[in-house]
Amino acid sequence: MTVDNLINWFPFGAEWPVLTFVTAVVICAIPTFIFIAVYALVAIYGELKISSFMQDKVGPMGQGVGLHAAKWGLLQPVADALKLILKEDIIPESADKKLFIMAPFVVFVGAFISFAALPFGQGTIIADMNIGVFYILAVGSLSVIGIILAGWSSNNKWSLYGGMRSVAQIISYEIPAGLSIIAIIMLTGTLSMQGIIEYQQGTIWGILPNWIIFNNPFTFIAFFIFFISGVAECNRTPFDIPEAESELVAGAFTEYSGMRYAFFFLSEYAEMFVVSAVAATAFLGGWNSPIHGFMDGPSWSMFWFMGKTMFLIFTMIWFRWTFPRLRVDQLMSVCWKVFLPISFVNIFGVGIWNLLFG
Amino acid sequence: MSSDQDKLIAESVEKALQGDMDAINNIEDRVTRSKAKAALVKAKREAKAAVAEETPRAEKSKAEEAPQAEQTFAAQVAVALEKKFPGSLDTEDVNGHIQMKGEQWYEAAQYLRDNPDFLFDSLQCVTGYDYGTSEDLEVRYNLHSMTHHHAIEIRIKIDRNDSKIPSVEQVWRIGDWFERETYDMYGIEFVGHSNMTRILCPEDWAGWPLRKDYETQEMYHGIVVPKVKDGWE
Amino acid sequence: MGVVHGDLMTLNIGPQHPSTHGVLRLKVKTDGEIISEVEPIIGYLHRCFEKHCENVSYEQVIPYTDRCDYIAAMNNNFGYAVTVEELMEIKVPERVEYIRVIVAELNRIASHLLALGAYGLDVGAFTPFLYMFRDRERILDLFETLCGARLLYNYIWVGGVSHDFPKGFVESVYSFLDYFEPKIEEYNELLTYNKIFIERTGDVGVMPPEVAVSYGVTGPNLRGSGVKWDIRKDEPYSIYEKFDFDIPVGVGEMGTVGDCWDRYYVRMLEMKESIKITRQALKGIPTGDVHQALPKKIRPPQGSIYKRTESPRGDLAYYIVSDGSPIPYRLKMRSPAFTALSVLGEISQGWMMSDVLAILGSLDIVLGEIDR
Repeated sequence: MTVDNLINWFPFGAEWPVLTFVTAVVICAIPTFIFIAVYALVAIYGELKISSFMQDKVGPMGQGVGLHAAKWGLLQPVADALKLILKEDIIPESADKKLFIMAPFVVFVGAFISFAALPFGQGTIIADMNIGVFYILAVGSLSVIGIILAGWSSNNKWSLYGGMRSVAQIISYEIPAGLSIIAIIMLTGTLSMQGIIEYQQGTIWGILPNWIIFNNPFTFIAFFIFFISGVAECNRTPFDIPEAESELVAGAFTEYSGMRYAFFFLSEYAEMFVVSAVAATAFLGGWNSPIHGFMDGPSWSMFWFMGKTMFLIFTMIWFRWTFPRLRVDQLMSVCWKVFLPISFVNIFGVGIWNLLFG
Repeated sequence: MSSDQDKLIAESVEKALQGDMDAINNIEDRVTRSKAKAALVKAKREAKAAVAEETPRAEKSKAEEAPQAEQTFAAQVAVALEKKFPGSLDTEDVNGHIQMKGEQWYEAAQYLRDNPDFLFDSLQCVTGYDYGTSEDLEVRYNLHSMTHHHAIEIRIKIDRNDSKIPSVEQVWRIGDWFERETYDMYGIEFVGHSNMTRILCPEDWAGWPLRKDYETQEMYHGIVVPKVKDGWE
Repeated sequence: MGVVHGDLMTLNIGPQHPSTHGVLRLKVKTDGEIISEVEPIIGYLHRCFEKHCENVSYEQVIPYTDRCDYIAAMNNNFGYAVTVEELMEIKVPERVEYIRVIVAELNRIASHLLALGAYGLDVGAFTPFLYMFRDRERILDLFETLCGARLLYNYIWVGGVSHDFPKGFVESVYSFLDYFEPKIEEYNELLTYNKIFIERTGDVGVMPPEVAVSYGVTGPNLRGSGVKWDIRKDEPYSIYEKFDFDIPVGVGEMGTVGDCWDRYYVRMLEMKESIKITRQALKGIPTGDVHQALPKKIRPPQGSIYKRTESPRGDLAYYIVSDGSPIPYRLKMRSPAFTALSVLGEISQGWMMSDVLAILGSLDIVLGEIDR
């Protein structure tokens, strides 16, 4: 249900274009927001349970509703959310109030508006722009401003440190991510998300699905570069120096509590979803089924898209509980000295491969 | 009946002396069991007396030999120190330690560390010592050599009211913290130390805690320092 | 071209912090991210241990020694008991010696597990911490069946031990050792040879051997710098001469000799050696009565003694002066973590903020021992 479809569907669309547009956007945005909230609950529960099983624990368990967070701890994230909402709103006295209040919203906006271009299924996309992937990469950088605002306005040396590190990291890792996307765009010829997915329909040699990751050894490498840069952009381990608990307590977000902290948390999970979704779209075939013809079609498309995205989110959670974290200068040197040259080589490689064999 | 009892007691005491207490614990009758336990205690006491008679001879000879070897080494060190820094020794060595005067301690420490015969490159422990109320204080240094594997103890007596001693922080870098701790606990000032402040107690604590005549202060920043702890549950 | 220096910023890694191993305050002067000076400030856990010991009898000192290095409490008791026994010239029965070695080595394994797990946590690896604690729990369960306490045992007394091994204890120790030995390979795969961990700890915080000796650093910290010094081999006490074990030293496998990785790996290898010693001791343990040599009243002759033993953190020594009464006249505990912490300022100059915590973790300090 795209915004375009909705506008066409409204009977009085031609007379009040602005009102129709705004109504259509709001109607599309509300399910998205609900989706993000529900997805965040699921992701938090998943993280708790997956990390517990990996660490030889059981995680939150319970006997029933009201008794220690429901059977298998299913209501634990709901309890967490309720707790965060009901907490006291503390703003440090020496903090810059306006910026302090504004920071979580800026970060959340940056993560939220990327959802407009995510292809949830065949025909289910809020705005099928012809510059879809470019739009997502562009607005993903908005959250950087929010983190700087958070670190600065807390009036706390540790938050400042954390904010600076975080910003440096996110900005640096956007470059290899963008360059990897350029590598695949050369193949598909279009920036539109649905267009990229439609390019990946069909099979190679009859068995392998025609996903871009299997197209080319260079796109294979580009997938890993993009995914790892995405993990770095979300500030997840092994790149979670900005939130390193053992060093800076919570980095840029030390002074935040209650609902404001919940917003940062929420936007981190939303960004994880966006990065995984873009990786799934650009490299793993989006809403195409891996076996051509089997469970294919518009009704299955959402299932495949969500499945691939959730698998990549599971991998991100897996990374967090396995690896130690990199130091800031090692992080930056990996980005600038390793990923960047490889991304450039990828672009050349894909182009030449396409010329020779395409 | 009683002879059976005695036999049972004797058997179980035998077993218990070997280390197996089950024989006594399994005796059903309470009176017999307590008799067996009393017999066990008596038997142990006799065994210990027998053991004690045998060993002192062997131990005494060992104890005689070891101090002789130590005396030789400590005497060597004492002789070398007296030659290099005449007048620095207080008394002849007693029981393996060297009693020194404090004035030339810094140079003596450097000599002990650098001289190739001794090479005491590791300062193991600095202990403060109080001989009693209104008596002298003392600082004891335990030195050790990682290369030659020998050790020595050096004691320096100082006056209670004018307790100053040269610092050896530059000779062994651990002297820094060890001397701060001795200062904190005894009030002995180490001349030449770069940062003579308290290390364990708070900076503004009054008094020298490990001295024998130490009285805890009444108040600290408005909090009453409790002296009598009766009635604390 | 010179280096541009801004103003030095003074930061406080305060007494309450998720990563310091106890209540420790680090005053850090940084120039951006590079450290120019680190000053540890201690004393937050000072409980006047030495003053207490001057007012209670020799037996009553033992629970106090437990609480100094609360992670390796058996070794503290061991050191104290051995010191007083040498002062009083008591000879303990053979079985007691074997029991003491077994519990001391098991406690060494438990202490190293905690040190390594917490170190992983400091550099961001959350999972090895939990795996190592799972295995540490099994050792603590063993100790609970032995003497009733999990952390502070009051077990090794002057002249003997407080309880003999219960029935089946030897078998359960054997089964624990069989279970634990392959786990060390698991930890090596998970953390020790992980590329990111090696980047974080290899070549970081190098401690040259001369600096280590001058600062009085001993134990795994000194062995990580390549100096082969272990009191169990060089000045043996108890029955350590009878056992056959190696002394692992750092060789700079992943960087320079004496870096954090070396100190970490020495502890890992020492756990293997402890398993070896425990197996040998379990095989050769004789029967006997453990309470045989307990003196009725501990009244050492006049004199002083300084005795060193090997605790998991280094060279633990007691200096006891006795005036013939049942209460010690002066008792000083020379704790290894005290000297290890003093070297932090020297070896962390020029490194970055995250490295300070990596170096602090590799020194394996326990504030209870430092502050006493």
